[in-house]
Amino acid sequence: MDLSVKIGKVRFENPVTVASGTFGYLEKYHDAKMIKKLGAITPKTITLKAQEGNPAPRIVETPAGMVNAIGIQNLGVDAFIEQQLPVYAKLKVPVIVSVSGKSAEEFILLASKLNHAGVAAIELNLSCPNLGKKTLIAQDAKATEAVVKAVKKMARVPIIAKLTPNVTDISLMAKAAENAGADAVSMINTFSAMVIDVNTLRPKLGNFTGGLSGPAITPVALHMVYQTAQRVKIPVIAMGGISNADDALQFLIAGATMVAVGTASFLNPQAPYEVLEGIQRYMKEKEIKDIQAVIDSLIKE
Amino acid sequence: MKKIQLKARIIANKKVSSSHYRLILEQKDILRKARPGQFVHVRVNEGLDPYFRRPFSISRAQEHLELLYAVVGRGTEILSRKKAGDELDLLGPLGNHFCMPPKGTRNVVMIAGAIGIAPFFMLSDYLRDKNYELTLLYGAKTKTQILPMRSLKDNGCRVYIATDDGTQGIKGRVSELYAKIPIDTQKTFIYACGPKPMIDSVLAFAHPNHLKGQVSAEEIMACGIGVCLGCATKTKTGYKTVCKDGPVFDLNEF
Repeated sequence: MDLSVKIGKVRFENPVTVASGTFGYLEKYHDAKMIKKLGAITPKTITLKAQEGNPAPRIVETPAGMVNAIGIQNLGVDAFIEQQLPVYAKLKVPVIVSVSGKSAEEFILLASKLNHAGVAAIELNLSCPNLGKKTLIAQDAKATEAVVKAVKKMARVPIIAKLTPNVTDISLMAKAAENAGADAVSMINTFSAMVIDVNTLRPKLGNFTGGLSGPAITPVALHMVYQTAQRVKIPVIAMGGISNADDALQFLIAGATMVAVGTASFLNPQAPYEVLEGIQRYMKEKEIKDIQAVIDSLIKE
Repeated sequence: MKKIQLKARIIANKKVSSSHYRLILEQKDILRKARPGQFVHVRVNEGLDPYFRRPFSISRAQEHLELLYAVVGRGTEILSRKKAGDELDLLGPLGNHFCMPPKGTRNVVMIAGAIGIAPFFMLSDYLRDKNYELTLLYGAKTKTQILPMRSLKDNGCRVYIATDDGTQGIKGRVSELYAKIPIDTQKTFIYACGPKPMIDSVLAFAHPNHLKGQVSAEEIMACGIGVCLGCATKTKTGYKTVCKDGPVFDLNEF
């Protein structure tokens, strides 16, 4: 059975990865044997300098999901390269490094530091809703194009643009990324959201607002991925509440090339592996030899 | 996942006060590994509502794993309806644990607010027969919400109670009992667990008196294993996760 997929020139053994921010960096509880089975891992977004993150409370539970405003708490790119990359190299699991910058220059600097063999691909997080900015890069087609183009000029590894659903038409943003030379888009980041405590009359998050994730957003994410996959030729890496193989298969059938398990891991740390096993089981039952036969197999008439 | 996601069979799930339950579980791996102050992360049902697991301090780990919990919302309400024989999906034991009192300690004072008392049953199991003067200062809303104190007393612990309405012990917050804490930097060690305002009152008392000790912090948690960074709490050395860096922190971290 061939589950391999390609992003740019890089081949991944299977289409299952994890969504950034939901896997940490590689904590002691993770089992190396299981991690190796994944197509790739995507650690939490890294910024140029260490960031301490947003005030508590940072998360709130919602029906079939959660709203978070972590604020990209991370140790900064240099410490990440020194402390984390060698660990992944030892595990021999491909790593997609998610990065976030305040400007095209910062993205270029980040990419230049990560532009080497230990990194399978770089995901440009153009869409974190929790950094207090009014307009996200991924809400502006021109800005998206400019950042991707600038990074692509010097990149030696595939460049993935992570898009926000908080736009009128996400496929236009994907198209802008494609025009700029992106090797793939990943979608969707979280939906801007808030929750209010009626007793204190205050928002339940320290950051006031946050991003909604989890099964609550899955059908919306699926529709966006479907629309985008119709419109662009580059691969789509899909995420949005994927919790089990059925969810993941829906995204693949709708045209996604890879799928990322995110928030579901908080509830069930085995979720990424269960998704992978479920996809394999499905292909076996349907006697499908190649994952390419699953991707974009939706019957449209 | 390294054998921390485990099934546990419920032996008993009994009401022990007007708003608390004691959950007794058959789970040998967690029982063997658990240390006082650690917690388990419980999935209260299989569906998506409530979405998060619920973290509970391990209250005892003798013959069986025991948890004490207050019914405060949907998750704990669902848990309270579980019956003997039902299975639960747990992650645990998680987090760090209380340290043993430093050398030279004579007086161990545990300060508990409401359900914050849970880990002290297990801690006192560890501290008994070791020549400490064990004291518990325990604050609760009202008499009917006071948990049975027998095992603590059996462990040689002196118990002082404060209730908001004065129906048992002295009337007022647990901070009214801080006069019982021997002010001795070398010989006194404090353990505190309870709601944030109580922790603040402990810090306000301990810091000027240069008392040493540990506090168990509380935050809403998603993953429970240090991955999501959702339960971060601000310490003197930056944000720390309550689930993995804690839940136990040195008094001086705050």
